[in-house]
Amino acid sequence: MKIRGKKVSIFNLTLFLIFSLVLTACSPEESSGGGNAEGTTEITFWHGATDISLQALKKMVAAFEEKNPDIKVKMVYTEASEGADQKLLTAVAGGNPPDVALFDRFKVGTWAAQDALTDLTDMAAADDITEDIYYPYAWEEANYQGKLYGLPYTTDSRMLYYNKDHFEEAGLDPENPPKTVQELEAAAEKLTKKDGSRFKQIGFIPWYGQGWLYGWGWSFGGEFYNKETGEVTANDPKIVEALTWMADVAQKFGVEDIAGFESSAGSGAMDPFISGQISMKVDGNWTISAIEKYKPDLNYGVTPIPTPTGTDFTTWSGGHAVIIPKGAKNVEAAWEFVKFFGTEEGQEVYFAELPGDLSVIPTVNEKLGRGDNPMLKQFIDILPNSHSRPVIPEGQLMWNELVDARENTVRGKGTAQENLDKATEAVTKALEKYK
Amino acid sequence: MAEVTKGTRIQPSVGVKQKKLSTKSNLHGWLFASPWIIGLLVFFAFPLIASIYFSFTSYSILQPGEFVGFQNYHELFKDDLFWKSIYNTIYFTIFFVPLSIIFGVALAMMLNMKVKGMGIYRTIFFLPTLVPHVALAVLWMWLLNPGFGLINGILDMIGLQVPNWLGSETWSKPSLILMSLWGIGQSVIIYLAGLNDIPEEFYEAAEVDGANWWQKTRHVTLPLLTPVIFFNLVMGAIGAFQQFTLPYTMTQGQGTPANSLTFYVMHLYDNAFKFFKMGYASAMAWILFIIIMSLTAVIFMTSNRWVHYQGK
Repeated sequence: MKIRGKKVSIFNLTLFLIFSLVLTACSPEESSGGGNAEGTTEITFWHGATDISLQALKKMVAAFEEKNPDIKVKMVYTEASEGADQKLLTAVAGGNPPDVALFDRFKVGTWAAQDALTDLTDMAAADDITEDIYYPYAWEEANYQGKLYGLPYTTDSRMLYYNKDHFEEAGLDPENPPKTVQELEAAAEKLTKKDGSRFKQIGFIPWYGQGWLYGWGWSFGGEFYNKETGEVTANDPKIVEALTWMADVAQKFGVEDIAGFESSAGSGAMDPFISGQISMKVDGNWTISAIEKYKPDLNYGVTPIPTPTGTDFTTWSGGHAVIIPKGAKNVEAAWEFVKFFGTEEGQEVYFAELPGDLSVIPTVNEKLGRGDNPMLKQFIDILPNSHSRPVIPEGQLMWNELVDARENTVRGKGTAQENLDKATEAVTKALEKYK
Repeated sequence: MAEVTKGTRIQPSVGVKQKKLSTKSNLHGWLFASPWIIGLLVFFAFPLIASIYFSFTSYSILQPGEFVGFQNYHELFKDDLFWKSIYNTIYFTIFFVPLSIIFGVALAMMLNMKVKGMGIYRTIFFLPTLVPHVALAVLWMWLLNPGFGLINGILDMIGLQVPNWLGSETWSKPSLILMSLWGIGQSVIIYLAGLNDIPEEFYEAAEVDGANWWQKTRHVTLPLLTPVIFFNLVMGAIGAFQQFTLPYTMTQGQGTPANSLTFYVMHLYDNAFKFFKMGYASAMAWILFIIIMSLTAVIFMTSNRWVHYQGK
């Protein structure tokens, strides 16, 4: 019995030792967490950047700290996209969010409606930051119900890529790419090569890459959401027309089932456009860097997404914003950082390191000579006419509903009208509770 | 700890002093188990119970929401995608679980043969299990690529009509089952252990009685393997109902084509974390729990008819 008692106490002792070790290991970090030694404030900054974007971010943070010696930025990596969203979500819900975070602008509406983002309207007004310096769509996407919830920084756009060698082989003029959807269809017909039931070369798949219904809908002149009345208009006749056209093209070339090919959208060298299996595709500006990396000698061109009339070219853009989550401890210092990164000064430092990326501020793109790259220039030139997806609390639902509508229509399950009516109804119904 | 309590229970004539000790050592036992107990209560039991309550509210994680009674459940039954996801999930379970048992047992029996270099074969069949789901998804998407994939290339060469696999609504789920079957190494290991547990004497006795290979398999191997099959059946069914990572990464969360790969947990996840409908998602989670529980109960009830334990 005695022996056992001794054993227990030894156990207790070890347990105690382990605990105290763990605690001491923790404590230094705790004390530095507050970090206001000699009047400096430390702000926590969540980002998902790796590789060269991380380098760019670090340069930008260094420039900020140099300018604001009283603020220290603690950069914390949280994995990109979905995982980061969940972390931020739980951090905000738990009342312990970071001071600043990078955030997909697409989600501003949803999160603002949930009261999870700090309203920046007054701070921006006090510091004279207005929409004038940004592309209109980018500013719009950072606002929800007349209030500003973040400052945008990156953007992108979508264009039609086409393989010039394939054009020549098929007897098409590589310097005169299709402008109207009819021309596009005709080119696709010439470019599609079949060997029995198997494709040797696919001319065009409307929804492949970044050919989302959003892009085609706007190119056909439709509008998905009425900002004035708050009505969802995904069944706009022009959008119905766009979707009907997509389904027709799919059936004409028998590509409705090639979606598997779409989901296997190989990254890098496996990309079917890069490997020459597909002749034309709609994709974003980042593809330029991918082609440069994996097949620099690919003879290709880019042109705006064709429209029914061959005029009024447009596209849509996404990108990220810098936000302050609701419940952040150092809102003032955080705003200084958001302001720096969200305006010319910070963006010049940041984008100087990332030659393939586009800023939401036209003058920054100009200053950094983005237009010198003839491919990238096309993507920049269209930005003033670009669209951003509607800023509504149910943005993700609307996205999913539009994907479903496209899938079902293309596969002959209901007409474009029926499926878009259904999507409109579903999103409208979901939006009711926010009214 | 278990031994100590057992020990004290067996001795009925314990003195006062010893009783004190036993409560004290009980206390120590609880103390040592407390990290686990606290973890279980705080991170498991509490959220579990709380989610029952949440399923009756419009909780959105960020907003506490209101009590809405059975509204979430009502809405669920009217949600087309909910039914579609149930259909997809049941389809997957019905085909995948039996197939995984058939292939698993067959593989295990082959890998149990006394052949030189068996360790290498076993390793080869286990290796796919180590491939992360995301990598597995990418790999198979290329193999099954309808236009340019290897599998269709071979099928086409021998003149077969090739399906569009992941691109076609009819073939997407069978493709997924195929991909999942590739990773059954884990259950094969369990079957192998089960096979090794069958005493050699039974086979010797059967041989003396003149049984051939099929009779030995049918009357010795399979009956004595039933406890292991039973285990894999239960675990496989539970796992199949929770299918998530593979289809989610493969379709970027969209369940394409035409929602034929939208599984129950994917729909649940979207509602909870993308549409901020945690209350709705909690209701879904409880329905899934009831489905899995009743299925497991049915399997357990039938088990004494077909599961044979050794030494019984």
